[in-house]
Amino acid sequence: MLWKDFNQGIIKENPVLRLMIGLCPTLAVSSNAVNALGMSVAVAFVLICSNWVIAAIRKITPDQIRIPIFIIIISTFVTISDYVMQAYTPELYQALGVFVPLIVVNCIILGRAEAFAYKNPVLNSILDGAGMSLGFALALISLGVVREILGAGTVFGLALFNPAVAATIMVLPPGAFIAIGVLMAALNKFENKVQ
Amino acid sequence: MINSLKMGLILAVFCVIAASGLAYVYQFTQPRIESNARLTMENSKKEVLPASGKGRALAVTVRGYGGEIELLVGIDQQERISGLKVLSHKETPGLGANIVRPDFLGQFKGKKRTDPLEAKKDIDAISGATISSRAVCNGVKDALERFQSGNN
Repeated sequence: MLWKDFNQGIIKENPVLRLMIGLCPTLAVSSNAVNALGMSVAVAFVLICSNWVIAAIRKITPDQIRIPIFIIIISTFVTISDYVMQAYTPELYQALGVFVPLIVVNCIILGRAEAFAYKNPVLNSILDGAGMSLGFALALISLGVVREILGAGTVFGLALFNPAVAATIMVLPPGAFIAIGVLMAALNKFENKVQ
Repeated sequence: MINSLKMGLILAVFCVIAASGLAYVYQFTQPRIESNARLTMENSKKEVLPASGKGRALAVTVRGYGGEIELLVGIDQQERISGLKVLSHKETPGLGANIVRPDFLGQFKGKKRTDPLEAKKDIDAISGATISSRAVCNGVKDALERFQSGNN
């Protein structure tokens, strides 16, 4: 049961590729692998912590005001990660820019709070958060790596081939849509085969 | 009525807890954030000035494609650009964001006020990011003007 809570977010209910939520930051920051990794870590921190706190206080949270309470909790953790990144990883903070504060409105986090953490015990909720974060990271980093290789000829900043032959479109917004479409198709194909 | 008061109160309690938590985190990250900013500024100044350290580093802000671009322009005593660094920007990743690359910024080195300093003339613009490239050119021009008027 616990394993299932962790597991489902990775492939079966992958937030980006299956539930199709959190697409805005996914498309925006996956233009290179390092940003994708940094964003994944920040989202994982916020999602696990908010799931944990929301599950812990779910019995004393009045139903009518649960959404504002979720938002307070989520934005608190987002601000914490914002300060910490600013203090300890200033370069990454600069690269991610506005998308760190925007984690507040990332549908994955509020979605998991409402759909899972509010109805389940603490441990299950933490595992759900961890699994969903891993699924998000998986989708984001594979997009980041693919787009960076095709679009800039580098991976994690290391040059692979002459950037002059790279398809710049891949690091631009259209490239994000192309890459995510192909990735979804590949995942569907893979799942059909397994079944 | 009573109920909404109660809800408001509960919400207020949550806010107070969240705010005190944040105040705590702020307290111990703030000194580091400030010292980071200072350190970056000092290092940037060293980077843009000539090895002798003589000259002036001017910070200029110009309007780019995605928002403001903050530049630090180093000018040596012969009124030539000795170095250039982007302190902050909000340009498009993969396009305008390439203004931070050394092969773009390096082109400005040695330029004088009398040079045209225009994208696609004496400066190779970044492909797909003419507006961002032009903004950097304008910033450098501004800095040279300011240096000039400051000296006379």
